[in-house]
Amino acid sequence: MSKRVHEVRDAIHVFIAFDDDERRIIDSPAFQRLRHIHQLALTYKVYPGASHKRFEHCLGVMHLTGRVYDAITRSDKISDAVRESMPDRGQNDHGYWRTVVRMAALCHDLGHLPFSHAAEDELLPTGVDHERITWEIVHSAPMQHLFCAITPPVRADDVGKLAVGPRKAERLKLNVSFNAWEAILAEVIVGDAFGADRMDYLLRDSLHTGVQYGRFDHERLIGTLRVIPAPTREEQETDAAGIEPVLGVERGGLQAAEQLLLARYFMFGQVYHHPTRLAYNEHLKEFLKAWLPGSTFPTDVTGHLARDDHDVLAAIKRASDDPDAPGHEPARRIVTRNHFKSAYARRATAPDGPNDAAVVETAADVSALAAAAAKQFGPHLIAYGAPPSRKTPPDFAVLDYDGRSVPASGLSDVYRKLPESPDAFVLADAQIRDDVRRWIDKNRTCILEERDQTISQAEQEEQA
Amino acid sequence: MNRQQQEAVLVGLARRLADSGSWTGETHLQKASYLMSKLRDVDFDFDFILYKYGPFSFALHDDLASMRADGFLDSVIQNPRYGARIVVTDRGRETEQRFAKTMQRYGPSLDWIAETLGGRGVMELERLATAMWMTAEHENASVRSRADELVRVKPHIGLKDAIASVEEIDGLRAAT
Repeated sequence: MSKRVHEVRDAIHVFIAFDDDERRIIDSPAFQRLRHIHQLALTYKVYPGASHKRFEHCLGVMHLTGRVYDAITRSDKISDAVRESMPDRGQNDHGYWRTVVRMAALCHDLGHLPFSHAAEDELLPTGVDHERITWEIVHSAPMQHLFCAITPPVRADDVGKLAVGPRKAERLKLNVSFNAWEAILAEVIVGDAFGADRMDYLLRDSLHTGVQYGRFDHERLIGTLRVIPAPTREEQETDAAGIEPVLGVERGGLQAAEQLLLARYFMFGQVYHHPTRLAYNEHLKEFLKAWLPGSTFPTDVTGHLARDDHDVLAAIKRASDDPDAPGHEPARRIVTRNHFKSAYARRATAPDGPNDAAVVETAADVSALAAAAAKQFGPHLIAYGAPPSRKTPPDFAVLDYDGRSVPASGLSDVYRKLPESPDAFVLADAQIRDDVRRWIDKNRTCILEERDQTISQAEQEEQA
Repeated sequence: MNRQQQEAVLVGLARRLADSGSWTGETHLQKASYLMSKLRDVDFDFDFILYKYGPFSFALHDDLASMRADGFLDSVIQNPRYGARIVVTDRGRETEQRFAKTMQRYGPSLDWIAETLGGRGVMELERLATAMWMTAEHENASVRSRADELVRVKPHIGLKDAIASVEEIDGLRAAT
């Protein structure tokens, strides 16, 4: 019996279609919980429209993943150089992997904690993050039951592997390996360059924050995605050397890919690394550390599924009204919008005037300045604000007009000249922000020299 | 080794590889770091996974990105047809000097790896690093069975090359 197709309206993709098997996953408690997890944590305190949830994002990722899969497996798009790595269209394998990759896309965020990434750092035991919990949920009895009911049955290991991707599999020591095909499928979902996850969050976050330049021509991009041999990496490497296939883009789609890079740059500068958003992350983290038993979220599947943003928001409201409640101060800051503000941003630019020295600070420098300011003004008035990881734009593969694969870095001026967004801040209570700024400007050199001396002493002691 | 010491060692590695004639792209640094950690007991804080072109560390990939953002390293496109080369900046050299003791400690290992791998191309590094992976995973297996396993996960590598790489790894391990 053929599967029924269901449709749901979506703010980005207009209609998202899914079958009975996918619907059963969507209707599961683990997936329904995502209706109550904000995609961008407390960013709605800065951009009021940013109150969208992980639920619609995951539907969007499944939709885009299916479209990319169909685009890259079209028989006229598969060259002889990569044919062996891909399942034949019309064979069972093709259908199996299509099911798996869409399921993995659907499930890729099941392990998110309340308020997504904002609360993840420091609030889980070492070696656990939301991907580990995603892996556990995918392997839980209720989900396995749903996967087994599919024809042919879907292996939870395959869904889990593609959902977390190789980056997290490495970090979580999952002891899984990725063959060339699985690596491409993981890239389709969570890849740094054209992953459906990235495409959907940029488009969706752009729409909901109102930051118009987070958009890009994803239709053109998807239509030009191809599985192609990886570009040669050095002169000695020959084209015939058996290079592994990767997810790349035809030369005709290069501008769409560049537009995605620019969208990413704008969204990082305007939204994801916005100092006020980073300040709210710090207040939220401080609250959760005080409020959660043992300062950590539960990591077992049952405990995890029992918690969502509603529980945390209710607790924040109660704590903000009660001066004796754990986490009262950060809760009050969140509720009354009395958040920290940027007192200092990492300097990584050319000198401002002819008498200025060029200044390129590291994130560690800014962290040292924040620590010194906290000592001077009080730890409850100062925080260091930075994203959990810093990533440069990935150098993706381009299928050039002559049929050769080349790195985007060689073809694209946009790629080469893309500036960095400010990404490390000293955050301070609004009342003392100007004092902190002046104090850092005055003592900056001294603080960093002292830090260097301490490092040097520690190194010598360690050697001794 | 803390994070800043590790950055200094990576700068030292990139500089030495380039001085030894290596193209010094990211793949070269990835494979050299992996082989250093396995053959010279250099305690890098990276996990590796068997991925594209053999052992690969996303944590190292992210650290190299951070080091470029912090101005210790730079990427140079020498020929648009090929991957970028990673070069050490003045700021990177300063960091090496700042951690002189650390560099003194790891200097012999860095010299050794640059001398051993500097002249090798990426394909050879991929074979060698994957052979090391198979050896670490199957400690007591014969040369042939490790080579067979290597060919199974990397079908584009021929059996003859696989055997030669496993034998070379055994030789390097015996020598160190």
